Amino acid sequence: MNIRYTIPGRRLVLSWLLLPFIAVLVAKADEHWAFQPPVRPELPVIVNEKWHRNPIDRFVVARLQDEGLKPSPRAEKATLLRRLSLDLTGLPPMKEDMDAFTADNEPGAWERLVEQLLKSPHYGERWAVWWLDGARYADTNGYEVDRPRMIWAWRDWVIRSLNNDMPFDQFTIEQMAGDLLPGATIQQRIATGFHRNTFMNEEGAHDWEQFRYESIVDRVHTTATVFMGLTLACAQCHDHKYDPFTQEEYFQFFAMLNNADEPELEVPVEDILTRQAEIDARIAHMEADRPQHFPLDSELPNANGLATDSEQKQRRKHLQRRFTEWVERESETAVRWHLLRPRHAVSTNNATMTVLEDGSLLVTGDRPELDTYEIVCDTDLQQITGFRLEAIPDPRLPNHGPGRGSVMSDGTFVVTEFDVDAQPLVASEQHESAFEIQSFNFVRADATYQNERRTVDKAIDNNRLTSWHTNNAARRRHVAVFQNDEPYAAGGMTKLTITILQNFLHQQTLGRFRLFVTDHEQTLSASLRDPVIDSILLADAAERSEQDIEQLKEHYLSVAEELTEYNKAIAELRTNRPQLPTTMVLSERSVQRPTHLHERGEYRRPAAIVSAGVPDALHPLTGNEIPSRLSLAKWIVDRRNPLTARVIVNRIWQQYFGQGLVNTPEDFGSQGMLPSHPELLDWLAVEFMEQNWSLKSLHRLIVNSATWQQSSQTTLQQQNRDPENILLGRGPRHRVSAEMVRDILLATSGLLNRRIGGPSVFPAQPAGALAGFGGFKWSTSEGGDQYRRSLYTFRQRAAPFAMSSLFDAPPGLTCTVKRRRSTTPLQSLALLNDSLTIEASRALAEKILGERGTSQDEKLILAFETCTTRSPDLHELQTIRDFHEEQKLHLTDRPHVAAALTGSEQPADAVASAESAAWTVTVRLLLNLHEVIVKQ
Amino acid sequence: MSLSAVTGRRCFLQESVLGLGSVALASLMDRRSATGARAVEANRSLTARASQFAPRAKNVIFLFMAGGPSQLELFDNKPSLRKYAGQRVPNSVLGNQELPFIERDATLMPSPLRFSRHGESGAELSEALPRLAEVVDDIAIVRSMHTDAFNHAPAQIFLHTGHLQLGKPSMGSWISYGLGSECSDLPAFVVLTTGQGVSGGASCYGNGFLPSVHQGVTLRSEGDPILFLGDPKGIDRSIQRDTIDALGHLNRHRVDIVGDPEIETRIAAYEMAFRMQTSAPDLIDVGQESKTTLELYGVTPGEPSFAGTCLLARRLVERGTRFVELMYKGWDHHSDVEGGVKKICGRADQPVAALIKDLRQRGLLDETLVVWGGEFGRTPMVEDNPALGRTRGRDHHPNAYTMWMAGGGINPGQTIGKTDELGYHVTEDPVHIHDLQATILHLLGIEHTELTFQHQGRDFRLTDVEGEIVEKLLG
Repeated sequence: MNIRYTIPGRRLVLSWLLLPFIAVLVAKADEHWAFQPPVRPELPVIVNEKWHRNPIDRFVVARLQDEGLKPSPRAEKATLLRRLSLDLTGLPPMKEDMDAFTADNEPGAWERLVEQLLKSPHYGERWAVWWLDGARYADTNGYEVDRPRMIWAWRDWVIRSLNNDMPFDQFTIEQMAGDLLPGATIQQRIATGFHRNTFMNEEGAHDWEQFRYESIVDRVHTTATVFMGLTLACAQCHDHKYDPFTQEEYFQFFAMLNNADEPELEVPVEDILTRQAEIDARIAHMEADRPQHFPLDSELPNANGLATDSEQKQRRKHLQRRFTEWVERESETAVRWHLLRPRHAVSTNNATMTVLEDGSLLVTGDRPELDTYEIVCDTDLQQITGFRLEAIPDPRLPNHGPGRGSVMSDGTFVVTEFDVDAQPLVASEQHESAFEIQSFNFVRADATYQNERRTVDKAIDNNRLTSWHTNNAARRRHVAVFQNDEPYAAGGMTKLTITILQNFLHQQTLGRFRLFVTDHEQTLSASLRDPVIDSILLADAAERSEQDIEQLKEHYLSVAEELTEYNKAIAELRTNRPQLPTTMVLSERSVQRPTHLHERGEYRRPAAIVSAGVPDALHPLTGNEIPSRLSLAKWIVDRRNPLTARVIVNRIWQQYFGQGLVNTPEDFGSQGMLPSHPELLDWLAVEFMEQNWSLKSLHRLIVNSATWQQSSQTTLQQQNRDPENILLGRGPRHRVSAEMVRDILLATSGLLNRRIGGPSVFPAQPAGALAGFGGFKWSTSEGGDQYRRSLYTFRQRAAPFAMSSLFDAPPGLTCTVKRRRSTTPLQSLALLNDSLTIEASRALAEKILGERGTSQDEKLILAFETCTTRSPDLHELQTIRDFHEEQKLHLTDRPHVAAALTGSEQPADAVASAESAAWTVTVRLLLNLHEVIVKQ
Repeated sequence: MSLSAVTGRRCFLQESVLGLGSVALASLMDRRSATGARAVEANRSLTARASQFAPRAKNVIFLFMAGGPSQLELFDNKPSLRKYAGQRVPNSVLGNQELPFIERDATLMPSPLRFSRHGESGAELSEALPRLAEVVDDIAIVRSMHTDAFNHAPAQIFLHTGHLQLGKPSMGSWISYGLGSECSDLPAFVVLTTGQGVSGGASCYGNGFLPSVHQGVTLRSEGDPILFLGDPKGIDRSIQRDTIDALGHLNRHRVDIVGDPEIETRIAAYEMAFRMQTSAPDLIDVGQESKTTLELYGVTPGEPSFAGTCLLARRLVERGTRFVELMYKGWDHHSDVEGGVKKICGRADQPVAALIKDLRQRGLLDETLVVWGGEFGRTPMVEDNPALGRTRGRDHHPNAYTMWMAGGGINPGQTIGKTDELGYHVTEDPVHIHDLQATILHLLGIEHTELTFQHQGRDFRLTDVEGEIVEKLLG
């Protein structure tokens, strides 16, 4: 291993706590500890054998022993129950759980409880929050426009995978490169949403490639931080100042992430699929049934008085007659369109153009703001008079296209200029030279969709500032035809170069389209009719096969005047067919994107091309193929990787104890803090890998340790010697996360809606809390969705949900592996005054009041226990009782205040109203107790 | 509330557990030890802290004009544009610059607005700013600003945080972190918006990786001035007071049993919350102001307006709020720049001038730094785009634009910096965003290279790795 950096002693101002470790460090000063693979250490010999429950405790006690300190006794049962419940499910235990557990004195009661909670579906929700922070998950695109995005299916994938205890190595591989796994399933592709949580700039006229570059920068940073605790981001602009990573290595790492396209994927939601199938069956049935709905001939006498059989016959005859008339009529005006099969197609701004079976072009990959397509096709037509451009919807396009517009108007496109150059492939009578290029001069244009000002003739006006627009017309086919001033006469084969300039905003370029050419001499008009129908119409009647006639008839039935109403009903079914939700995924490009080193890390300063690879200071990649995202994913969870297991174990530990064994979870490099218990960290890391990267096993290990089960009461000696509890001489004690603060309110009061997964929801928040950003409207969810777990609250990057940001939930801007825990007056205001507190207080008060046959004191105790999972002491009971009595008096004198509290307009009974209101006030007091939102 | 009553409460924070006393900036650097760092960080709340050296200003009012005000219609008179009207900008001037909405062949457009000189300093202002002209000797104009981004959100985030990437603390948060608050019952960093929010969103006043106590608190014009400030229905003042007393009692009882000092912090937070419930409504009650003052600003009590936020800014600094930011959107004149500038100045000129006059009158101007400006300026070329329905507008221009500063420590009555004859590039005394930030910190008594915070393996600061103090601006 090539270690180029040694730790500068001057930067290590170490506390007495770390003195024992310094010796080790000095001995290996040239090899940073975290870059050496962890080796399972021997378990330390300890004096106090009785206290310890599992290997974790041996390391902790040994360390305490060295400092002359003792561990704390086990916490009380009820305290442990609440601690465990919050740690494993993020929800407090219910009163019944408390009663049952404190009464269960059978052996194995604790272990049974642990298993029960690990099996709870809420386990996956609680730990998903942990993972979402690092993944910078949000429900909007960020930057100025910050429009909603759909990627909750990825969030649900995380919940499900955690609940299934998917091994962490697989969890990593699927998120980094699920699409590259052989036979990738839809779920594995959904997993790649992990790296789609980057921002998307939707501001008009931005440089798309620049923001794509920024998103890869973010992916490098996130990958290095979240899995390996590396500050690789520091090497973007120059070689890393402290760790052994060069700028070139940064861009080599970058290269592995730089070869993906960013499509959306439809999520197969079972009940939507069922409804779709039902509607499709209905449409098919109605279509087949069209002849039965063809009207009788009103010109015939007695049309209505005929028997059924002959009515059927009449109907058939009428249809046949009208069909024949239609064929005759249409045959006269049909136009023979010849499909142009592209032999070459290129997008100026690097979008990927693929020729499909039907000769159409599908545009995927990069999504530049503006684009110009150049398409080369050959034709043997001897005379060319016009072109037909057919834009085709496709589920692979935003909102099914046919355009790629994905900002203001999903699925739309513009055509600014439509130009064609013709060049003979061989010299001929008409063209002496095969190099003679002639440009078409279009004088007429027509389209099946035009809006008022932005008509199709703007596409042939030679003005780069005006275009044919299709806004508000997504999910439909559009056809435009362009007619030449005079026919182009070809001698033999002609090469046509078609240039489609799309010069507007917001990625409004064509997503899927076909081109046709014609020698038709009459005026051309745009029609959605498939040119195949025209060809059949133009053929001699004798030449038409039975199949041709069937096809013609099918078409006729879809446009027949007589069936207008009937067909409208079919169209309506199609329009209202439920759509599958989509989710954002990665998909690897077949053609490698070159990666440059960028001087000073700046997008605008690309320098030499670099090849994909990993830093020299770490273990090498396996395999001989060109390093891809999949190679990177496997490298991250390679057993030789010295960092991943340590980093993950540390961050799990941090969730339990409020701080990691390494208190810079984002930096395991030489500038990060040293581990407080280096051997314990390594032991856990090795154990984690050997238990097949099972997160649930790791959780089990921690919660079954005596270390985690210690009482968190703090003695003065502990407060003085070790205020931050780095030595783990007592149990954890810290405020819970923003999500838990709100979930505790919901669960304690019984308001909580325990539904798992699905689109994000909009709980109530004060009017104007969003301050009007981007014109986004927060429309409060109806019914039970208001009371879903906070994990499901819609995350708007530009204006996060008030309760979340007040309690330090990150807004999903960057990868966050360590939350702050602040205590502010604004939090107190929220807990006192948010409408949710009042609702929760009212709900719990009603429940308490409903307890029949209990005394006031018993009710007060019940309320206290429900909120805190412990019984009040006498002093506490006295305080609450006094408070309650006083409020009852106060409210009896003020019936209108009481009425406002109970939420009833006209209280029937003043005494009952004051009683009920006083209980609401008392429960509100209890819900505001510090210990309600503290894990202790 | 009288001013003395406000001052009397200021000492609260120093005494309470919200802070354990003044922490010198230098000691913040000592973060390498396992315990030291955490202790410092935990204690670093809103306690007022001494500056590193004698500050010239105590408070800042940042008038953020979102959208990119056109310097060519306001401050930077370019008569030569008349000569070149309708011509293209030479490639030698354009370089390889990209423009968001216009093409490289867009032609030059002279300003339709008239400019004249004002005050003893003879500073040039356009006819759109008649009121600012009255206080022009109190301000220092910087015509040589330049920035690194030309889309709104990134440029706004850059101006506020010194970084193009998201998730970094904003200027107000850095200053709150560096100096704490002098106000016991209001936040140290207050944000006021009029109508719609700005492109950069909450990132413009986010605390980034700094403790969240330093995040900008928006004072809202709709509903409660501060989120969750109002007592809910059915909770009267007496119930609220009793509740907070009982809470304090029960929580303190727990301190005795479990020995967790964090509980004391929570008790103090509830106390401050209660005080804010009184002081914030008092703060926003501009009805207490004299008729003369209201007329000076052009404020009608009860009607939300930019003028109202200017008046609130004064009331906030009067109460000791460290950093007040006013966000005023509507300067993004891609079309009809003349009409647009006139219209918005019709609302924004008088109150800004009034703020300067009012601060001076009350002796607050010396200790309050006022900064006016947007995220970038506008092109000397015209933006005409029939497809977008735009005509006679100007596009985003990061290369050269104008901001101005006044008050605390600024040498007023001067115009700094020059641009070329097209107003395209800075030719004299360029001032980069990082220079502006360094200067603001300097005026508050902070050396910008030393106000740092370690995050993800490196020390971050507002000015990233650059920033020079603009000496010419200093009084």
